[in-house]
Amino acid sequence: MFKKVLIANRGEIAVRIIRACREVGLGTVAVYSEADRQALHVRYADEAYLLGPAPARESYLRMDKIMDIAKKSGADAVHPGYGFLAEREDFAQACVDAGIIFIGPKPSAIAAMGDKAVARATVVKAGVPVVPGTEDVGNMTNEDLLAVAPRIGFPLLIKATAGGGGKGMREVRAIEEMPALLMSARREAESAFGDGNVYLEKLVEGARHIEFQIMADAHGSVIHLGERECSIQRRHQKLLEESPSPALNEDLRAKMGAVAVKSAQAVEYLNAGTIEFLLDKNDNFYFLEMNTRLQVEHPVTEVVTGIDIVKEQLRIARGRSMSYKQEDVKWTGAAIECRVNAEDPFNGFMPSTGQIVQSIQPTGPGVRVDTGVYPGFEITPYYDPMIAKLIVWGETRAQAILRMRRALEEYRIVGVRTNIPFHQTLMDSHRFMGGQFDTRFVEERFSLEDAVENKESHPEIAVALATLVAHQQTQRAAQIVRRNERDASNWRWVGRWERMHR
Amino acid sequence: MKYITSLDGKEYLVEILDDRRISVNGQIQEIDFVSVRGQPVHSLIMNGKSYESYVYETEEGLQVLLRGRLYNLTVEDEREKRLRATAGAGAGTSGEFNLKAPMPGLIVSIPVNEGDQVEKGQVLLILESMKMQNELKSPKNGTVARLRVKPGETVEQRQALLSVT
Repeated sequence: MFKKVLIANRGEIAVRIIRACREVGLGTVAVYSEADRQALHVRYADEAYLLGPAPARESYLRMDKIMDIAKKSGADAVHPGYGFLAEREDFAQACVDAGIIFIGPKPSAIAAMGDKAVARATVVKAGVPVVPGTEDVGNMTNEDLLAVAPRIGFPLLIKATAGGGGKGMREVRAIEEMPALLMSARREAESAFGDGNVYLEKLVEGARHIEFQIMADAHGSVIHLGERECSIQRRHQKLLEESPSPALNEDLRAKMGAVAVKSAQAVEYLNAGTIEFLLDKNDNFYFLEMNTRLQVEHPVTEVVTGIDIVKEQLRIARGRSMSYKQEDVKWTGAAIECRVNAEDPFNGFMPSTGQIVQSIQPTGPGVRVDTGVYPGFEITPYYDPMIAKLIVWGETRAQAILRMRRALEEYRIVGVRTNIPFHQTLMDSHRFMGGQFDTRFVEERFSLEDAVENKESHPEIAVALATLVAHQQTQRAAQIVRRNERDASNWRWVGRWERMHR
Repeated sequence: MKYITSLDGKEYLVEILDDRRISVNGQIQEIDFVSVRGQPVHSLIMNGKSYESYVYETEEGLQVLLRGRLYNLTVEDEREKRLRATAGAGAGTSGEFNLKAPMPGLIVSIPVNEGDQVEKGQVLLILESMKMQNELKSPKNGTVARLRVKPGETVEQRQALLSVT
């Protein structure tokens, strides 16, 4: 039974894990890079240790240093969060070897699910449906792949065996264009992952990205907590998630949930994990991959089920049985999460860095904000641009959308540009409201500019605001030049003078 | 004070009458305008309706972010407008190129030195942002001047990096 948890992560997820630890009375150890001395997770934790310079490879990816800190601080468990070392089999193994509990699956399960080819073969053996594609995914040559392609059928996808994030992925419409695309996919995979191996998969058109949250304990119990709809993506990065999905009914949920449980059992899974599926228009679904960690979007599941997933993770890691059986899991209402990123939606989603000058978070009924930033905190270009997750709950999906609109308008972040206007526009989109979208919706059928055109416009208000701001600036500048000419009352003059000299 | 404010090619004549009243294209509007000091957040109550918005200054003018929509505006007073009209044609070809950071990032290397002769297309600077390395090239032949950054430094978007004269 462990007493102190080292959180090998940063930002909002580190804060999220510290909160759960504190609620169950566990000690917490934060680690941080030089850029994160001011970060919230460092301030919230019981203990904090410096890892090294800002770049992740010199700090949050330094397994050796993290293990040293664990030993030095007497932490007897490690929570990896998501990203960084969360899906590194060698890190999980290093914890096991050092006699420290890794809050997550066994190294063997991370390994089995980490390699897409092995994962595919493993679940196929367990009778889980996969997207039709090359079965023998070892080292297939271009000739082998070209021979197999017509049997899979076009359009198809070339994917990197070690892939992720869309790297080394190519869409092939006809056999003629395939040789050139194979070359470029291999080249990209080689440079991104140091592994040029690729395989083929049928392209499922009009597909949704649906994932199931899985929980498994050491006593053989495996349950699912329902699905999350993650089709709202841009360049393979999720922007918004919701639960339940507007595309699922109770039957389909039960069916997919059972398959998800089976997939987890196939690798003797332990702790929290996520099974990703593609769902086509005819309700056919295919296993895509398994994420062997806590997900960014876990709060939407927490909100509709009332289950604290991180606390359950701690409980499972302590060797106890889960607090819930499958029949105890009930879903109430609908939850939506918007990822708030420091990027400018009006300027090609260009990353925006700088100091957060002010942050007014939305509150009120049914609103949750998971964040690691606060006024005075510096957003640096070293890490991922997500600065907060805004999660709302509503009795129905429509209520949740209305609440999200309200919350987005309340959210004020000053200092960096954010993608909040993108989410606001999405909330007004008829196709989003109708639940009519697939994974290509944002990139192919949603344009911020077009959507904004149809929105309620207030040109005169914008004109008044801009002019008043410009006028204010001219007045201030003039005041500095004409110091002796007091055009206002003495009190006002004193106020201006103080403002200038602050 | 009178201003000409342009939005989407349309001009509005705005007159600041006093603290409580402005006129937009001849229509008098009751206003109450408050700014949060040092921040681009402004609150405007106009004829009883309350609006809150961000107003950012850019090189081109002002950007107003209001209820999820971004407006690009320019504001000129009458004198500025007249000046611009007389300056008119022929301006803006000084021949000097000022390289600014197109995005925030880290300066990886600067393969040129101040005073170096460079050719069009030659790499001036390599900028890393969100794990991508970007080569910033010279758009003209000339001499490197006013090198303002060093390798290893982080820069903000639109920060001046160097000039080619």
